[in-house]
Amino acid sequence: MFQPYGIATQPITLDFLRGFCFFQSSEGMSEPALNLEQDIELLRRIGDGDRSAFDSFYDQYSGLLFSIAVKILNDAKEAEDVLQEVFMQIWNKADAYDPLLGKPASWAVTLTRNKAIDRIRASNRRSRLLEQATVEANVATDPSPSANEKLHGRENAQMIRSVVAALPLDQRRAIEMAFFSGLTQDEIAKNLQEPLGTIKARIRRGMLKLREKLEGCI
Amino acid sequence: MIDERMEEQASLYVLGVLTPEETREFEAALSRDFELQHLVEKLRVSRDALAGALPQATPPPALKEKIRAQISAQEKIVPLLTNANEHGTGWSIWLSWSLAACLAIICGISLSQQRNLRQKIGEQAKQIVDLNVLADSLRSETQDLQHAVATLQETNRLANLRIAMLGSLLTDSPKAVAVSLWDENQQRGVFVVQNLKPLPADKDYQLWVIDPKYPTPVSAGVFQVDAQGNVRLQFKADKLIESANKFAVTLEPKGGLLTPTLKNLVLMGG
Repeated sequence: MFQPYGIATQPITLDFLRGFCFFQSSEGMSEPALNLEQDIELLRRIGDGDRSAFDSFYDQYSGLLFSIAVKILNDAKEAEDVLQEVFMQIWNKADAYDPLLGKPASWAVTLTRNKAIDRIRASNRRSRLLEQATVEANVATDPSPSANEKLHGRENAQMIRSVVAALPLDQRRAIEMAFFSGLTQDEIAKNLQEPLGTIKARIRRGMLKLREKLEGCI
Repeated sequence: MIDERMEEQASLYVLGVLTPEETREFEAALSRDFELQHLVEKLRVSRDALAGALPQATPPPALKEKIRAQISAQEKIVPLLTNANEHGTGWSIWLSWSLAACLAIICGISLSQQRNLRQKIGEQAKQIVDLNVLADSLRSETQDLQHAVATLQETNRLANLRIAMLGSLLTDSPKAVAVSLWDENQQRGVFVVQNLKPLPADKDYQLWVIDPKYPTPVSAGVFQVDAQGNVRLQFKADKLIESANKFAVTLEPKGGLLTPTLKNLVLMGG
């Protein structure tokens, strides 16, 4: 269902990816740790069975991926299991990764999200999902350090958080529920007590706004 | 130009909430539209930024070691070949492939030999079974033949027996009777007497075999009867008998005579 890679027919170049704020460093800001070329090289070496490259990739992204898994599962032990599955898949499938189809970080994020959602669906915890979904969206309102700090530096991470926090609450709630809850579109609409069309429109507007603000923020 | 609906679908796609059918349709459109691909990649980066804005959760340090241990246990297969291509020396690759080829050939030969041996064993086992059946058949035939031989021998033995009934020649013992069975091959016989008058101690009955070969009867011994006049005895002739035509019993002095007179005939028959 969720396979963002393997569909593009046009090449996606590094210059194209550098068009996003994540891959630019600006004067006066912390140097982001994220480096697309380094990540692609790491994946290539992992594909060759290089364990030191695997260690580097793990050190770089385990915090972000673990945070996503904990957010979805609300269970640190299960999140550990998911993280283990994700990194084993990265170890085993890295040689099949094609850099023209997207950046490694997005690949890992998608793997983690899908595995966590699969796990929560397999354990038949739909009622728990619905219950969790009613909780106030809190991605941008928690003052504790975010996973973005390690990837983009503290200042950039704070900017990203401020952009997210600036989204209208109804749009942010719909987006977070879609990505973190594992609920279907209909379930999200029912949970938020809004027509499905309204929910889709909110998600569209929120995502486009995020894209617009983040594109120029870093 | 991407319309609002496609922007909506792109947003839902990167968040993973399209239905499977919607996903297929969207990916079909995505594969044809570079501008849409561009949008999807931007939305994906936005999504990652949103996820990265989560409060930092740190996995326990032991988890990394656990994953490393699992990798060690798994002994990744694919990288071995890749490493060999990029970092290994040529001879080591060829050596590995040569060893694998040799092993495959040896396995093939072994399998072939094993198959042949199994075939031979099967054939020999079948032969053993056939031989056992044949042996049983021969054993049965042998028994039948032995039985037939015994029957023939018995028939032959009976054929060689000379059976003679002797009647009484005495007026005072008219019921006296005797039967003589003579086996020419074994030159011996059985003589059974009934109702013959018992004799005083100084007298004996003497049995004679009459063979045309000899001018006079041949003595076959003397005997007494019990109080009821009965006796059963085995006898042999003093000479080789070729044809026992008749048998006779005479009353003689104790011990009998060497040369018969046949004056006191008691029983006679043939």
